[in-house]
Amino acid sequence: MSSESFSRRAFLGRSVGGLGSMALAHLLSRDVHAATPAQGSHFPARTRAVISLFQHGGPSQMDLFDHKPELTRWDGKPYPGGALEIHFDKQSGQVLGAPYQFHAHGQCGMELSELLPHTGSIADDITLIRSMTTGSVDHESALRIMHTGRFLAGLPGLGSWALYGLGTENENLPAYVVLSDPGGLPVDGERNWSSGFLPALYQGTPFRSGPSPVFNLKTPERVTAMAREGQLKFLKQLNGQHASRYPENTELSARIANFEIAARMQTAVPEVLDFSSETKATQQMYGLDNPITEEYGRRCLLARRLVERGVRFVQLFLNGQPWDTHDKNAERLKGLCARTDQPSAALVKDLKQRGLLDSTAVIWSGEFGRLPVSQGKDGRDHNRHGFSLWVAGGGFRRGYVHGATDDFGYKSVHDIVPVHDFHATLLHLMGLDHRKLHFQHEGRATSLTDSEVTGAAVVPSLLG
Amino acid sequence: MPIAHSAELPRIWCPWILSLVLVAFLAIRSAAASAESVATHWAFQSPYTPSVPIPKNSRSCRTAVDRFAQARLEKAGLSLGPDVDRATLLRRVTFLTTGLPPTPAEIADFIADRSVAAYDKLIDRLLASPRHAEKWARHWLDAVGYADSNGYFNADSDRPLAFRYRDYVVRALQRDIPFDEFVREQLAGDQLAGDQLAGWKPGQPATARIVELLEATHFLRNGQDGSGESDGNDDEVRSDRYYALESSLQILASSLMGLTVQCAKCHDHKFEPITQQDYYSLQAYLFPAFNIQNWVKPNDRFVYASLPGEMEVWEANDAKLTRQENELTQSYQRWVAAHRPRGRILFEDSFAEGRPLSERWSNVAPGDDAPAGIPPVALDSARAPAAQVRSGKLEILESGGAGDRWISTRDAFNWRPTATGDWIQVTFDLVADRVAEKGRGAERIGYLIGLHDFSGNGARKGGNILVDGNPAGTTTVYGEYPHAGSKAIGSIGSTGYAPGHNYGIRISRPTAKAWIMEHLVDGVVDGVPLEMKGDMLAEGGFGFEFCCGRSFVVDTVRVESSLGEDPAWAEENRQFAVQLVARRKEMEGSLKAIAGLKRPKPGKISWVSDLGSEAPKVPLLKRGDHRSPGDTVEPAPPAFISKTHPASRPERSGTGTGARLSLARWLTEPRSLQSALLARVTMNRLWQQYFGVGIVATPDNLGLSGSRPTHPELLEWMASEFIASGWSMRAMHRLLLRSAIVQQSSLPTRQGIEKDPSNQWLWRFPIRRLEAEAIRDATLAVSGRLDLSKTAGGYVPTSRAVSGEVVLDEALPGAFARSLFLQQRRSQVATQLGLFDAPSVVFNCTRRAQTTMPLQSLSLLNSEFSLKRAEDMAQRLEREAGEDANRRIRLAFLLTTGRPPDTKSRGMVRDFLISQRELHAGEKDAAFRTWADLCQMLLASSPFLYLD
Repeated sequence: MSSESFSRRAFLGRSVGGLGSMALAHLLSRDVHAATPAQGSHFPARTRAVISLFQHGGPSQMDLFDHKPELTRWDGKPYPGGALEIHFDKQSGQVLGAPYQFHAHGQCGMELSELLPHTGSIADDITLIRSMTTGSVDHESALRIMHTGRFLAGLPGLGSWALYGLGTENENLPAYVVLSDPGGLPVDGERNWSSGFLPALYQGTPFRSGPSPVFNLKTPERVTAMAREGQLKFLKQLNGQHASRYPENTELSARIANFEIAARMQTAVPEVLDFSSETKATQQMYGLDNPITEEYGRRCLLARRLVERGVRFVQLFLNGQPWDTHDKNAERLKGLCARTDQPSAALVKDLKQRGLLDSTAVIWSGEFGRLPVSQGKDGRDHNRHGFSLWVAGGGFRRGYVHGATDDFGYKSVHDIVPVHDFHATLLHLMGLDHRKLHFQHEGRATSLTDSEVTGAAVVPSLLG
Repeated sequence: MPIAHSAELPRIWCPWILSLVLVAFLAIRSAAASAESVATHWAFQSPYTPSVPIPKNSRSCRTAVDRFAQARLEKAGLSLGPDVDRATLLRRVTFLTTGLPPTPAEIADFIADRSVAAYDKLIDRLLASPRHAEKWARHWLDAVGYADSNGYFNADSDRPLAFRYRDYVVRALQRDIPFDEFVREQLAGDQLAGDQLAGWKPGQPATARIVELLEATHFLRNGQDGSGESDGNDDEVRSDRYYALESSLQILASSLMGLTVQCAKCHDHKFEPITQQDYYSLQAYLFPAFNIQNWVKPNDRFVYASLPGEMEVWEANDAKLTRQENELTQSYQRWVAAHRPRGRILFEDSFAEGRPLSERWSNVAPGDDAPAGIPPVALDSARAPAAQVRSGKLEILESGGAGDRWISTRDAFNWRPTATGDWIQVTFDLVADRVAEKGRGAERIGYLIGLHDFSGNGARKGGNILVDGNPAGTTTVYGEYPHAGSKAIGSIGSTGYAPGHNYGIRISRPTAKAWIMEHLVDGVVDGVPLEMKGDMLAEGGFGFEFCCGRSFVVDTVRVESSLGEDPAWAEENRQFAVQLVARRKEMEGSLKAIAGLKRPKPGKISWVSDLGSEAPKVPLLKRGDHRSPGDTVEPAPPAFISKTHPASRPERSGTGTGARLSLARWLTEPRSLQSALLARVTMNRLWQQYFGVGIVATPDNLGLSGSRPTHPELLEWMASEFIASGWSMRAMHRLLLRSAIVQQSSLPTRQGIEKDPSNQWLWRFPIRRLEAEAIRDATLAVSGRLDLSKTAGGYVPTSRAVSGEVVLDEALPGAFARSLFLQQRRSQVATQLGLFDAPSVVFNCTRRAQTTMPLQSLSLLNSEFSLKRAEDMAQRLEREAGEDANRRIRLAFLLTTGRPPDTKSRGMVRDFLISQRELHAGEKDAAFRTWADLCQMLLASSPFLYLD
């Protein structure tokens, strides 16, 4: 090596060395050759982080977000609007009225159901989209469309794409954290946060409840701290000696650095999970003092703490698919709103009071909506032609209602927003051009929005 | 995971990235499938054998491969690197060929053997090893999307027979069967077997060759298939089926042809010369086996074809075990019959001939005033509905129609035991389940207790309980039958009603407030008891029901009750109950042991065959939507190839349409463009496994939108050589292993880094991390735990722990087998493997990612697996190197790095041992812990994890 040797710094000069080189370990290893396309933002970002409060099952838009007086008028009568696309049988064919009152909220006068008083209190901070559409009435397929842009299984989700595009800002914590329900996995399980064909580096890391929120986070009890320190020092020597033969190899230096990062994660993760520094007022705002809201509130608060520490993407899930109200629609909505309304709104308020809302987008969304007619006597079936979701912060417009459905809330008719347009807009706010963020897969540059096929485009009026 | 992009990074890299994007964009633009670009695209050219170049400096060249590589390097002002040292070479080629490290003995042998032939001998040994077939089977299985689960839906249901395909692949590689034959077998093994199968029927023993051909067809079953769980509307069910068919086609095209066809499902391909017509014409080859209208769910698609002799051995063994089971249960029953304390017989009728049935039986229930049913049951008559005594048995003759007809004993009994501990029971022998020998078997053997009345006569509530004896298993019990308010109380027993046994029920009162009904089979309680309420039970007769397909023959009806008031009897009964429990437990233990020795019927194979020999009509689907079928298409290869290389029309074979056989023969047709494509794709993947990246960096796409080959002529030459070798994979391995390009050093040179930093021209051997399976297998090998005895058979199951981690229970047989044999469930990849980029299979994985992330470090530092293997390895050092620290260190390095430690490393280790020993001071196993700490770090270190 002597005469052939060269300095590692010289090689890494361009990339500022240090962690920068690690970040690109994957990219550099062999993929330059494979012409893997862009990573890095395409234009200045409005939002730095995203928190997705995912509401599995298809929340009923006409009972929560999309006031339709016609529904009440026609309650129990045959649906006058012609054929509906249905998923399951036992359709009565009769209109099912929305039993809850709607009230106007905030300066913007956003109409919301009485089940959502807390969401009402942030009306002036959110954009409510009432004209979403998606491609499937099947839960799993619709979930995949919502997360990955296509109904096929095994594709990377929004969080993985964001990470692939932007990387992380805190190397001591996973950049994409999943907070699933302690009660169990959501429908479609871990696929909801798979990195698909993107490298495993970009998949969501679930934080589990219990002593070891991340796999193998805890040093086993039989290993003392001193012995571990001794081991790590020795390992660094071993690896250093090996890496010194390949000074240009960023993967080997990344591997060395990763042992240090792993050790820092062992303290950083328990720290972020420790709420003792949160004031009583904050905890109450999230509903931690109420058994009904406590669990969801805890995860909303944790989401804020993660984003505060530089985590890029946080996703909350519910057990199973609770919003799938095929029966007892009205009754079940009441219970679900009681559990999620206050903590969701608290998250937005808390981010705002800490000055984080401008750089953090909060998304409240399910995978599709529900039908205006009743299934059985008191349920609603799936609907892909119209549903509502809300977003707050991160450069989205405030106090704004976008789009509308028909008189019965069945089909989006004005300013329709297909899922991939929503994705394009979200990526845009993150500083990523959805047409440029792609990865070579199945022999072509594959992207989240697949705009050449879908015609996906940013929706300018959603931007604040 | 922390990827740690520093804030400056994007700006610094942006121009570079943008230029790449631009280049890629322009490449795609210019590639858009114009006729001209298709005509000139390298991969779509007819095969030829390029002449081997003569580089300026050929000193380091050993093979033609080297001359191609050296010639290209010279263009870049570079040259092949110097030979690597022998220890590194041995470790490198041992891992490349077998996925395992060399053993200390193998290292010693190779280093000591200075003969010219030493390396060739090594290659021969490695390539002949079963470990080689296992390692390369993994690569093939990745490329074809092998999985032990069906995927698609959340359930990700089990695919219990896929392992036979995995084993077929291992065996085929071990025998180095010609690759073209290997492909034909997988596409159409069932049809290749055509004549051989002609006289064979599924279920019969077959020949070893037939079995193999049937196993091979599972290739087409590797795709996701959720059709076994489809439960949506008709449209969704069809979508689910189409998805399985489309997955199969996608895997076929990407793994065998290097073509991305799936875009053409909805429209003509934007970048490739694949039209929508082409897509559906290709699909038409598979359609007869995946006929959407005539579908078979994945786990129902199997055939029985056992090897000669296999079935006889199994049958003999199974018969022996069944005999043992019968002996056990019969001896138990005999014991029960002999020892059960007899209660008071309240009623007994053995249906002696010559005595009118009406003497003790009636079609009117006790206390009632009218017969049940229209028409009422006739006693002593052969005109149904009727009951008659014949040959000393009671025949129940039904006449169809819904059931409210019965005969009853004239006597009434109290079916509600009055004192705690009391019971009443009724039993009868079931002689036959039909009256005429050729008659239809009874759907149910219905009998009633508490018969007194039914609707209309102002009767008491309760009673009229129907026990609807079920020949197929669990029996349902209804209350107040057939009153309009009748409903099922629950079910009892698990044993079906079969002639030759004694059946009945017992009602007892175990406590003051509880009544239970138990099912009696041959006098013994069967299944769990059914709880009854007191008011369900009433005084009344016992009788049989006449209804809807329920003719049968019975004998010896007996009603008896306990003698609870007699203390001696009660004590005898109590003791009997105690012994009964003990005997039953003993019998169940023995039965379980016997069940453990039973094997599933041999020869069950998950396969593909045409669902009928008539070619189905295959529609082109407009916009890929099956709700919009277009014109019918015929099976045909993509037009851009078939216009010069047409396929022959499928010829119907004994077992199907012959469509897949026609495709298989076309694809492997000698000297054709398509077989050249197959050879190019295969050689490119081979190259990729040796060097990390293929000559074409997109192994599933050799088309216009794929990467350009770095060494097009070399790839062409290898493809041509591969075909010339008789499609021998082993010959190509040998060629590469003999080449200087594989044997060169991996160290960087200034020149190399300056002129070709990404090493695309291979001026050095590319250092890279071991794949997930090799890390686990090598860790097991080094720690002395690797179990090489498992070489085939069902997978070793993984499971998801409460923590969410997917783990392997180390107590299970096979827990230390090679990773190839672990369960490959799509949604349940062993965490340890997944962390190191083992794929969760969706379609297929022609190239794995190679990531570096902190979760890997956490696993190497903190997982139970890492800690335990370190301890195992420390024990091995003790065992094999004794007390001498230097010998132990030497062995540890030989095991983990393939070479003895150099002076510097030895010093480092000795220092570590001293300081670490101090850190463990006072612990009772301090010395052992210190060595285990060393071993764990060696197993976590780059020299172990990387292939230099």
